[in-house]
Parts: sequence; C-alpha cells; structure tokens
Amino acid sequence: MLKLFSGAVMLAVGLSAGAQARDLTFASWGGNYQDAQRAAFFKPFAAQKGISFAEDTYLGGLADIKAMAETGQVKWDLVMVERADLILGCDEGLFEKLDWAKLGAADLLPTAIHPCGAGAVVVSYGIGYNKNGAGKAPQTWADFWDLKTWPGKRGLRAGPKMNMELALIADGVAPADVYKVLATPEGVDRAFRKLDEIKPSLQFWDAGAQPVDWLSTGNVAMSSAYNGRISNAVADGKPLGFVWTNNIYGMDSWAIPAKAPNKELAMEFIAFANTPAPQAEFPKYIPYGTSNVKAADLMAPDLRANLPAGVNMDTALFMDDVFWADHFDQISVRWNNWATQ
Amino acid sequence: MIRSKGGALATLLLLLPPLALYVGVYLLPMLAFGGASVDNGVLGQRFPRLAAWAASAAPVDDAAAVALLADLGVLRPEERAEAARMLNQDQPGFRSLIMTTGNAAGTIGPGLAALRSFDARWAEDRFWFSLRQNLEPVTWRHFRKALGLGLSPDGGITRVEGGDIYLRIMLRTLVIGFEVAALTVLIGYPLAYAVVNAGPRLRGLVLGAVLLGFWTSILVRTTAWVVLLQTNGLINGLLLRLGLVDAPLPLIFNRFGTVVAITHVLLPFAILPIVNVMRQIPAAQRDASRSLGAGPIETFLRVYLPQTLRGVAVGGGTVFILALGFYVTPALVGGPGDQMLAYYIADFMQKQLNWGMASALGIMLLAAVAAVLALWFVPRLFAAPSARRP
Repeated sequence: MLKLFSGAVMLAVGLSAGAQARDLTFASWGGNYQDAQRAAFFKPFAAQKGISFAEDTYLGGLADIKAMAETGQVKWDLVMVERADLILGCDEGLFEKLDWAKLGAADLLPTAIHPCGAGAVVVSYGIGYNKNGAGKAPQTWADFWDLKTWPGKRGLRAGPKMNMELALIADGVAPADVYKVLATPEGVDRAFRKLDEIKPSLQFWDAGAQPVDWLSTGNVAMSSAYNGRISNAVADGKPLGFVWTNNIYGMDSWAIPAKAPNKELAMEFIAFANTPAPQAEFPKYIPYGTSNVKAADLMAPDLRANLPAGVNMDTALFMDDVFWADHFDQISVRWNNWATQ
Repeated sequence: MIRSKGGALATLLLLLPPLALYVGVYLLPMLAFGGASVDNGVLGQRFPRLAAWAASAAPVDDAAAVALLADLGVLRPEERAEAARMLNQDQPGFRSLIMTTGNAAGTIGPGLAALRSFDARWAEDRFWFSLRQNLEPVTWRHFRKALGLGLSPDGGITRVEGGDIYLRIMLRTLVIGFEVAALTVLIGYPLAYAVVNAGPRLRGLVLGAVLLGFWTSILVRTTAWVVLLQTNGLINGLLLRLGLVDAPLPLIFNRFGTVVAITHVLLPFAILPIVNVMRQIPAAQRDASRSLGAGPIETFLRVYLPQTLRGVAVGGGTVFILALGFYVTPALVGGPGDQMLAYYIADFMQKQLNWGMASALGIMLLAAVAAVLALWFVPRLFAAPSARRP
C-alpha cells in the first residue's frame, strides 16, 4: 500500500523531474551549515574533478530516503545524516555500504567510521547564555537549574533526546553513567523529576536558529544550543556565550542513498572530504568540529579554541544513538505527555 | 434549458482530465495512505513459522523459540532491521533484541532455555505477547495507540495510563480551530462591511491590505508576529514605555500568541466570502426597510445580517478547516501545550518513520472534521424549505 502511495506521489513529482542523468547532488541542512560545506567541500571537489553539482535541503529523518529507495527515483547522491538515522537506515538497506579500504580511515576519529557513513561534522549541544543578562557566567548544567541566581526562562530543544541526559547530569549523575541510569525506569523517572523542577520556566525550540534569537532578544536567560550557532552569533557581534562543561555531542555523517546514480563519484567525494585540507577550511565558515584529527594542526589556534575539540571535550558526553534507537519511541510518548501538561 | 447530446459529451470530456488527475494524484494516494494505518504487511509476512505457533495459542515453549530462530535466520538483514524497528514501536528495547538475536540466529541452540541464556530479555512476557499480537497482516495497534488503548494479556482492551495524549491534542486542535474561526469572523465582518460600503479609493486600500497578507509567505507573517509579541518586542516595549505594565506581558509561546498568529494568517479566507455575499445585497433593500419604519439596528438585524450569514458560514467554516491543519505557526509561536495534531502527524511521518501512526492520526483528524461538518450540515438538510433562502 505504501508503495502505491509513494508511487503516486513520485509520479506527480517525477513528471517534471524525469530520470535523466543528473549532476552530483548534495543534500544537507541548509543555512550557514550548508554554505560552509559548499565553500569547504562541494566547490573544491567539483573544481578538482571538473564537474558541476547540485544541492537540495534535507530536514532529517528517513522518510525521504525510504521513499526514494522504494520508487527508484533517487534524487540525491550524498546526504548529511544524523547518526541515529544512519544506524537505522544502514540496517534497513537504505544506504550504500562504504568501501573503507579505499576511503582511507587512518586519521579519522573511531566514531566517524560506520559501514554506511563517514562522520564529518562534530556538533556540541551545551548552554548558551546572554553575557549582558546574568551577573556572572553559568558554568554547569546545575546552574541551568538555578532560577534564583539566574532568573528567567530556559530554552531546550523539543523532544527527549539530549535533554534526558543533561537532566541526569544536572542531578549529579556522572556522564559515564548517564546511559546506564537512563536504561532503567527509575532513571527515566529521575530525569523527569529533575525537569519538573524548572518546567514552568521552560520553552522548547525546533530549529537551531531559534535559541540564538531568543537569547539575543532576552526571551530566555539561558538555552541549550548548538555551539556553531552561538559562535556565529558572537561573530555577528551578539553578546552570547557557550558553556563547554558536560556538553553532549553528536556527529553528522555523509551517506549515499541506496542506488544513487552517481554512487562512484559520491565515494570519491567522501574520500576527499575525509582528508585534512578541506576539513581545516570548514570551521572557518561555521565552528563545528571535524573528523580527521590531523585537520586540527592546520587550523589557527584561536579558531581551534571555539571548536568541539581538545580541552573543550574533556567532560563531554557522546550521544548514544544505539540507546535512542531502542528507547526513543517509548520515552518520546512520555515526553510529549509531560510537555503538554 | 435542454442540453443536446453533444453538449453533455463535451462536458464529460472536459471533466475527464481533472477527474483523472484528482483520482490519480489525490484520491488513490490518500486511500493508500489511509490503509497504512492498519497495514501490517511487513510483520505479517516475515514470521510465517512463528505466526503458525501464535495461531495455535500454545504457551511460550521450545517450539516458539525454534520457530522464531528459523524465521529470523532466513530473513535478509534489511528485512530483519525493518521488522525490528516496527516491533520496537510496540515494545521498547525490541529493536536491539531482534537485531542481536537475528545476527546470532545460527549459533543459538534449539529451545527456549538456549534462547534465554543468549539474551535474558526473552524471559520477559511482554516481548512474546507483542510478537503474538503483531503477526497478522492487519493491525489495530496504531489506532489503539492513537485512542490511548492497550491490550491486556487475556486479550481484552484496557486504557493506558496517560495514553489519551492524542485525544487531548485532538480536542485542543478543535478548540483552537473554533477560537480562530470565531475571531476571524468577528474581525472580518466589520472589515468586509467597510470594504463593500467604502468609496472606491478606500475600498482598494483596505482590500489591498487584506490581500497583501494573503500573498505573503506564511513563514514571514509568523516570524513578524514573533518580532511584535516577544518579551522585548515592539508591543511589550510600547506598553512598558507608556507605563501601562510594569513587566513584559507573556504574549508569545502560549495560546494567545498561537491564536493571534493563526487568526492573522487566515483572516482573508473569512473576509472574501463575506465581501462576496455583501456585494450582492442591493442598497435599496436597506432604504426600503428604513422607509417602512425600521431603525438602523432593526434593519441590520432583520434585513442585512440574515442575508450575510451564508458568507459568514462559508468563511468561518473554511477558516476552521484550514486551522485544523496548522503546524508551522504553532511550532514557532506556541508553547508545548499549544502544538496541534498536524505537528505530531508530521513528526511520525518524517522523523519517526512510523507511517502507520501518522496515518491513524490523520484519519482521526479527518473523522473529527467530518463529524463537525455533519453537526453543522445535517440540521440544515431537515430544516423547513421556507427557512432556506432561495
């Protein structure tokens, strides 16, 4: 039935698109993020190969990619996916398997290597705050809960991911034990109890640009945020700060949708994107971390200080996407219940 | 007028392309997607041996373990992963249990004891119970979840603690729809009156202002409201400067902001039908009413208003139905307690890859709209013909 559905939709879409050979097509998250990738990766690679390329925007999830796989109308050759989707999609055959022998895994972070994906961008989720608002800078997730010292609203990303973790950390759980605790019903209760303490002050964001906006205009006193968004706002002259202590980080990866027409070229692109030179360019445009450890040597020291790398990551927690693959359905129902009451 | 045979044929031919388009790209996909709410084809086909065991109503025994391992052993890895993801929608932890067991299916000895020593979770009843319930080609688990119901071990229907979340969100969606429809009519009616009765220049200006909003992207309009309503936004700034309030009012990320923004977005849909109806009322009628002795208020209530109610119903009804499908606006200006059902449908569809659940919620929304329309429409069918306008 779904095949019929997707087929009819694709018929409607495909009437104009056709199935002719097309340029190498990248799909990523738009905005500053994709601008940075275009400058550091897409353009240099296209110039090197003497080809032209096309781009599209991707909003996360596997729905688009599954529809492409079922109808055979694969419109992307490379897509930047979150790890949770990479793991699920790879298991279900929605992505091509990568030939790591050819791609060169030597200097990559071990977490960057996946049978279907090459980790490329390290993103940290931590506390953003307005330097003009509070008397002193917050230091920890426990400060996020301190409504006396830092009165005002608090922003968090909508949904349970990463928020359950940080609630436990604020409650005194060591980062190394977070997922052990969260795997038990008592641990989930504990996280919700902790969130209850500040619930009247919480408001939730969907898009990464929102917390920057809220912080700049004083709508919230603190908000969880992605480090790159805060850094870019600081570069634009906004008085914002970011707390690295116990940040939670994830990794976005390049993956090739199954049966992508330009599969070979896409593999060559991943090999290129894994090398230090273009990776060292990328954070100049948006300050996210990269997967090749040698890339850091090519960066200016003051740039490195603002990246999810080195000392900034000493107390960080790597988001466990395998845990979330198992528990997301259940915890998100409870989260929605909790959030709407 | 009597039509010739050729004329009827021509009409039919003219109707054919849009009809084909309607059936092909709207009706068929919609029906197919509606089917996704009960379709369990994937799980129903992948475990034939286990399904035979489940049909026999035998207890969890060695035969069940052997059937499960045999089924898992012949599945391709992608098929196994897809089945695991779907089972995980029913029981948390099922995904990794199926994946690890499936990967080792050939190495686990026959029998329940061997399976349980491989992974102790196979001693938990909930996994076996879930398997038993989900091996038919048709499933009601999405509708049960949408309605907050569950199955008890003896096969009865039970209420799930806190499971009525989607019903509550449904109710909230309808309430917001009503609030917005009422507000657009209240604001739109006088505006429409002004448009119809103003001089040509003023009419052009007002209608232009209304249509300008109509042509602007919904995202831009919603973002404009964020700028206006936020804590340190224009409105709060003005109120504070005038000394009317001591602290900024909470105007956004709550129900107020949501209703205001949706009302603004949908206002043209209420105004235009009302304008259309008002234009058809001859001014002479009002003069006649006045000359027969009715005052301005009585003239309005007894002559003018009844003739415009059709426009009000069309405008308000259109706004109500359109408002039910909103999700971008509440996501940007609402709080967690103001998200509407469409937000969750999109979430299941795009993020959670659970099209069955998205479809079940979509059908629920459609049924609610149909019920509301029926409440409004059915009494009209039975109304005395004299009460209906010609």
